[in-house]
Amino acid sequence: MSCPRCRSSEEHLRTEYQGREGDEIIWTVYYCKRCSFTWRDSEPAESIEHGKREASFRADPDHPEKYKQNIPPAAE
Amino acid sequence: MDAQTVDLSIEARDVAGRIHDLRDYLDLLAGHGQCITWPEAVMPEPDIRKIVVAASRDAMMGPAILFDKIRGYPGKRLVVGVHGSFSNIALLLGHQKGAGIKELFYEIIGRWRSDYPLIERVKPEDAAVNENRVESGINLYNLLPLYRINDMDGGFYIAKANIVSRDPRDPDDFDKQNVGIYRIQVQGPDRFTLLSVPSHDMARQIRMAEEDDVPLKIAVMIGNHPAMAMFAATPVNYDESEFAYASQMMGSPIQLTTSGNGMDVLAGSEMVIEAQLMNNQRCLEGPFGEFPGSYSGIRHVPLFEVTAVSHRTDPIFESIYIGKGWTEHDTLIGLNTCAPIYSQLKENFPEVVAVNALYQHGLTGIISVKNRFAGFAKSVAMRALGTPHGLMYLKNLIMVDDDVDPFDLNQVMWALSTRTRASDIIVIPNMPMVLIDPAAEIPGKGHRLIIDATSFMPPDPIGGDAKIVSPPSGDEIDDLAKYVQRLQREAENK
Ligand SMILES: [Zn+2]
Repeated sequence: MSCPRCRSSEEHLRTEYQGREGDEIIWTVYYCKRCSFTWRDSEPAESIEHGKREASFRADPDHPEKYKQNIPPAAE
Repeated sequence: MDAQTVDLSIEARDVAGRIHDLRDYLDLLAGHGQCITWPEAVMPEPDIRKIVVAASRDAMMGPAILFDKIRGYPGKRLVVGVHGSFSNIALLLGHQKGAGIKELFYEIIGRWRSDYPLIERVKPEDAAVNENRVESGINLYNLLPLYRINDMDGGFYIAKANIVSRDPRDPDDFDKQNVGIYRIQVQGPDRFTLLSVPSHDMARQIRMAEEDDVPLKIAVMIGNHPAMAMFAATPVNYDESEFAYASQMMGSPIQLTTSGNGMDVLAGSEMVIEAQLMNNQRCLEGPFGEFPGSYSGIRHVPLFEVTAVSHRTDPIFESIYIGKGWTEHDTLIGLNTCAPIYSQLKENFPEVVAVNALYQHGLTGIISVKNRFAGFAKSVAMRALGTPHGLMYLKNLIMVDDDVDPFDLNQVMWALSTRTRASDIIVIPNMPMVLIDPAAEIPGKGHRLIIDATSFMPPDPIGGDAKIVSPPSGDEIDDLAKYVQRLQREAENK
């Protein structure tokens, strides 16, 4: 498994929550620690499969300088 | 009631006295067929998105949808579209379901700027929001049925919360307490980012806290008194309280209690998340489908840590669909976008009759004005561009006469068709513009368009011969229109 948005490998992913009904696991929510993407494994492929996501909706955590600061930290 | 409060109709007073929290409002809506409990089980994605988009298509009559069978979230409840139609707003204001938008506009204007706060204090131990409290092992996914609002959003958002914060340099001043709606992206079981526009109160408080290296505590109220969501988004001055303003607009007391971290919060909220800014820490946030109908980009955004959660038993997660219009966002803030522009214009130009700035937070506005002489409406339009909201938002302005209801687009199109010359169009290039305008060549800068669709007046020699047909109008015709609708319904039910 890798991040649908930035393709980071499993070691960068975190399991957030499993939706259960009784003993049955209905879905699992994951979080990418590198690009902050959050997804549920039951979502449509257009949202959670890297190859099916539009290129403009991918993320590049190797180059954080690409992304603007909302409010720059004071201690910088 | 105190003489300083607004003069409400009997119906409006009755509604105001009955509604103390979200649950009271949902009961009122359900009684009028304006809140539906979804009968089937749904997946968080894409089912919820599809259903709420379908429901919000009808801007006049669309109902709120309550979900209580969400797969993987047994027992959890979600409501979307609470402010999703003008009929829902009408019922809150003591009007009939199906009331015209112009009627609701004048109701809001009538309540605007009453100046007496109506606040009732409730002891924390008596507040419904404190029925349950979580202080350890916090996992937001275990507390709220979180889901992806638009399919390319970067995560799961809390998009309709009212967030309370206090000036970190003056934390004891009630009036410097800020209540606003900011989008929140969940970044972990007990972490979230909060996006604020750099010029807004919250951003100012974040900068203060980081510069002075002091804590900034906030309280995130979810599932609130319906007046809070409607009126907390209305810009008030930094030293005015949004709580006071919301209570004035409702004409009935708002019940406040104190959160565990010392904020004033609504005693009847479904949930209050207490959190603290993680000074100087940032996290990637976005994209998020925003109100102009386009996605925002990815940004580094301030990060908060959840310190405790209070909630009612079986809390209702109140959410909103935002995206390409028409959506609940337009109905929620529409009338309260119109009201300040109207009252500010009226100070200089008593000829102004009504302001429709419902579209995408006022990116397009329609103003009806009693024309005095040729070109007069253009001057009124220029003044509108100088109002606080007009400065950044009013991109396209259509000026119509006082015989045209600016909320009735068929009438507006009539005015455009019969009273506009191409030479009555003004483009003002390179003006300030809200950053979020998708049509901007450079974010923050844009062109303004004024279309003068008012009638020709002296000394203009054109059009003097046009004699306007005067179809019957007024209360009698409004009543007859309602009677026709009733006969139609009866004919259908036979
Ligand atoms: Zn990623």
